[in-house]
Amino acid sequence: MTLLRAQDLTKTYTVDHQIIKVLDGVSLTVATGEFVVITGSSGSGKTTLLTLLSGLDHPTAGEIWIDGREISSASEDALAPLRNRTIGFVFQSFHLVPAMTALENIMFPAELLKRRDAEERARALLATVGLSARADNLPSQLSGGEKQRVALCRAMINQPKLLFADEPTGNLDSKNGQLVLDQLLAMKAAHAVTLVLVTHNPEIAAAADRVVTLSDGRLRHQAAD
Amino acid sequence: MSSRLRVIYRQLVGSSRQALVFVLCVSLSLTTLTAFSGFARSVRQSLLADARTLHAADIILGSGSPFNPHLQGAVAREAAAGRIESTRIHTFFSVVRTVDADASLLARLKVVEPAYPFYGEVVLLSGRTLAGVLTQGSIVVEQLLLDRLGLAVGDLLQVGFTTLRIVDVVTAEPDRPVNMFAFGPRVFVSHQDLDALGLIEKGSRIRYRLLIKVTDPQELAPLAAHFKTFADPERERVDTYRTARSGVRRFLDNFIFFLKLVGIFILVLAGMGIQSTLGALLREKRQTIAVMKTLGATSRYVQRYFMKLTALMGGIGILLGVAVGLGLQWLLYRLLADFLPPSLHFQWAPSGVLEGIAVGVVVLILFTLLPLHQLRYLRPVMIFRRDQPVHQKRWPAWLSAAALLLFFFGLTAWHMADAEVGLYLVAGVGGVILISASFSQLSLWVLKRLTVRRLAVRQAVRGLFRPGNATRPVMITLTTSLAVIFAIFLIEANLDATFVRSFPADAPNLFFVDIQPDQRDGFARLVDQAVTFYPVIRARVTAVNDEAIDRERQQRTRGDSLARTMNLTYRETLLDTERLISGERLYRSDWQEPQVSVLDEVLEMHPMKVGDRLRFRIQGVPLTARISSIRTRVGENLSPFFYFVFPTDVLGNAPQTVFTALRVPPDAVADLQTRLVTAYPNVSVIDLSTTLRVLARLMQRLSNILRSFTALSIVAGVLILTSAIWATRAQRMTEAVYYKVLGARRRFVLQVFTMENLLIAAMSGILALLMAHLCAGVVCHLVFDIRYQAFALASGGLVLGNALLVVTTGLLASWAILKKKPVTYLREQTDG
Ligand SMILES: Nc1ncnc2c1ncn2[C@@H]1O[C@H](COP(=O)(O)OP(=O)(O)OP(=O)(O)O)[C@@H](O)[C@H]1O
Ligand SMILES: [Mg+2]
Repeated sequence: MTLLRAQDLTKTYTVDHQIIKVLDGVSLTVATGEFVVITGSSGSGKTTLLTLLSGLDHPTAGEIWIDGREISSASEDALAPLRNRTIGFVFQSFHLVPAMTALENIMFPAELLKRRDAEERARALLATVGLSARADNLPSQLSGGEKQRVALCRAMINQPKLLFADEPTGNLDSKNGQLVLDQLLAMKAAHAVTLVLVTHNPEIAAAADRVVTLSDGRLRHQAAD
Repeated sequence: MSSRLRVIYRQLVGSSRQALVFVLCVSLSLTTLTAFSGFARSVRQSLLADARTLHAADIILGSGSPFNPHLQGAVAREAAAGRIESTRIHTFFSVVRTVDADASLLARLKVVEPAYPFYGEVVLLSGRTLAGVLTQGSIVVEQLLLDRLGLAVGDLLQVGFTTLRIVDVVTAEPDRPVNMFAFGPRVFVSHQDLDALGLIEKGSRIRYRLLIKVTDPQELAPLAAHFKTFADPERERVDTYRTARSGVRRFLDNFIFFLKLVGIFILVLAGMGIQSTLGALLREKRQTIAVMKTLGATSRYVQRYFMKLTALMGGIGILLGVAVGLGLQWLLYRLLADFLPPSLHFQWAPSGVLEGIAVGVVVLILFTLLPLHQLRYLRPVMIFRRDQPVHQKRWPAWLSAAALLLFFFGLTAWHMADAEVGLYLVAGVGGVILISASFSQLSLWVLKRLTVRRLAVRQAVRGLFRPGNATRPVMITLTTSLAVIFAIFLIEANLDATFVRSFPADAPNLFFVDIQPDQRDGFARLVDQAVTFYPVIRARVTAVNDEAIDRERQQRTRGDSLARTMNLTYRETLLDTERLISGERLYRSDWQEPQVSVLDEVLEMHPMKVGDRLRFRIQGVPLTARISSIRTRVGENLSPFFYFVFPTDVLGNAPQTVFTALRVPPDAVADLQTRLVTAYPNVSVIDLSTTLRVLARLMQRLSNILRSFTALSIVAGVLILTSAIWATRAQRMTEAVYYKVLGARRRFVLQVFTMENLLIAAMSGILALLMAHLCAGVVCHLVFDIRYQAFALASGGLVLGNALLVVTTGLLASWAILKKKPVTYLREQTDG
């Protein structure tokens, strides 16, 4: 079953009256439970594509369906519940809210939903990534790897169907990167979440069901082995 | 503390400087208004009540000769219709004598009817009423007269051609304004004895007054206007207790007006501070907001979240502001206690507190609505691109500007009780903002196209266009607020120069009028000090360049008018207190015809220049003189001045009296007056000792208060400036780090930032100063009706001080970054 479908996506930026075409007719379909890796050279538009697929930004042209809903021209506020419940996000540079503790960061999406068991769930997730002891630490008191594991918990707390990750290990050394990756894959398995991940890392790509490559604004599909 | 509150608290701590400035701005916005809205109200009420008492009537008709029959008829008709009551008063100066003619004294006679006074009370030593004791043949006198003449109640006194009996002593009289120009002891005479005095026939200088009490207060203005149509504008005055303005009254009016103006401007300035600080604070939180939105928070949620944060800070600010405001109000009453009626004193009025809170809440809402509204335009993509331009709609900004102007107008109109003034002020402020905006746009446009060689300067100019750097709004805010502060400063300096410095401690306190020319030497011996005599020739100006003076128009002007009787004098030299501003010498040697030197203040009544011809009428004799020079007075003071000065050969033989002013120690005044009256009974003495002392002290206090409030507005300005400069801090940090990472020395970074701030400061400061001079000049001229001085040195100081402040603030804001090692910062930056 198709969870995510993008059709003929185009994205252009206008800088000083000059039009830059970053994506030029990109189409992609992701089935439920699938693990898709997007690669490509730097500046090829991977992050741009991810922001479009996840509804963080609007495409210049083209259509995107998530879970049967067309979102390419949905309003900010119409997208909010989708981001809250259906989608999870992990970023290269963590993006924890600096004023919230690890626990509060994780609870936040659940609190938006007014879930009574927000704290319970958050603590449980923290335990699975082995950070129970750091629950009350502010982000500035955590290491990079710890921050990313907290961010992973935060992405998972509302049990999304679709998890987007943009270079989740890009800012980490290989040991920490490996740890985060292991936990990410463990979560994916445990919650049967669909994963769309951007990376340069061939090791991660090797674990994917499918790898697609962006170049010159277009997508080259290739099957994983 | 709940978890939510804790998070909000941490958000505040994370931006503690912005939060602090925000709280201070909120409290400042209502401090001043809370402080003197109540104060001004009670002072004004008591002043108006006092004003009526000061004149003992609602409408006052005055003249130096009997009222014309039409005016008398009009008054009689209204009285017959029951719309008014009226009473006549005649005042003279006359020498009174003991019956044995042993002692005499110049006294101020006041002939009154039983209805006098309509307001206030004549207090007698016996406690009886004036109307009760002042019957035909009796008089009531001041204690001073009894002391000087060695008389007691019950004795007889020779007044004019009749002898009257002293029946009581007067201790207070309502319509005797602050002792100003009051000389000689008072003698009340019954109107039934007016004819018996025989003074009117004798041609003494007499003042006729008609006091009118209006039955229906609503009728005051129409009736006054009605009487005015019958009055001869050349010699008959029609005033109401509201319009008749003594010098002190005028200053107090101006004082309160200025305080309110400053209060409102401080509020607006603080409001701008609120808006820009909140804007900066929210800019700092953009990353957090983007993350929240990515996690599914709606715009409403984000807005409500930051609304709570704003409300928390605002609440603290409001409480602080009301408390400080009440403290200031208490201080105002303390400082002015000596000068205020005893019934006026500080009270903890809950209504005042509520008003303060209400104003605070409205200000808070009005000035935070826009930054909070703009949160909806923040898109989650900003997570990836921090500098992403925010596409916001234009209408909320316009709407907010309109709401602010409307609020400002309402506030002004309400506090000034004058919609017109409100309109002018709003138009003025609107104009200032518009000019600031267009100028900022223009200068940035020019700067962007400028090619600069030096790296540090080039980087500084580039810095102004940093993405996300709100240079244009910062410049508009800065220019507007600087213009307002500079204008307040200049107005204060002008008020101070005009009113306060004109009362120096060594100012003359005794004025001697009507000295006869042949009494000069004897007079000088009698007063036993160096005396400068000023010959005085009374005359009227009848034409300028053969064009007759338009008396009607002259009299309608607020200032002095050419239509009144002028005092001319003659001398050959300039005074120490004078300077020529046109013409090379006082008189021209190459002209044969009569010449006259004119004081520049005359030019404000009627345009004229050197070479023009003025026609005078001196006791019926015409004289035409050509203007040889224009003088100005250096510094305002109480020393005598003359509008028209002639060469001796022109006026030396005209009918004249002599005038002089002396500084006499207060305890020697009484003795000198007694000796003078004996030797020269025709000389009138005007004793201003007490008045001067009281005035000088009052002026000093008022000026201190003005200065403190001006200082408060400067504090408001510094706050805004800090917040504005701070608003650009985040971008600067990144840049500084990159410079350092790339190997720039601290000096280079300092240079770039200093240049950048200097550019902003210079551009906004100079434009602000120009606009401030314009606004202050207009206000001084139109509202206060005083001469405008530019204070060039202080003006330069303002611009320099501003530059210094901006640069220092900017450096302080960047200091933390400069001290840090770049690594620390780079690590922190990936924090979020
Ligand atoms: N707001 C913008 N305005 C102009 N150009 C943009 C904007 N955002 C992205 N681009 C351009 O779009 C292209 C793709 O950017 P994107 O960030 O998607 O690349 P990427 O594949 O994620 O690269 P990397 O692997 O380095 O992260 C780049 O060339 C970039 O310069
Ligand atoms: Mg990228």
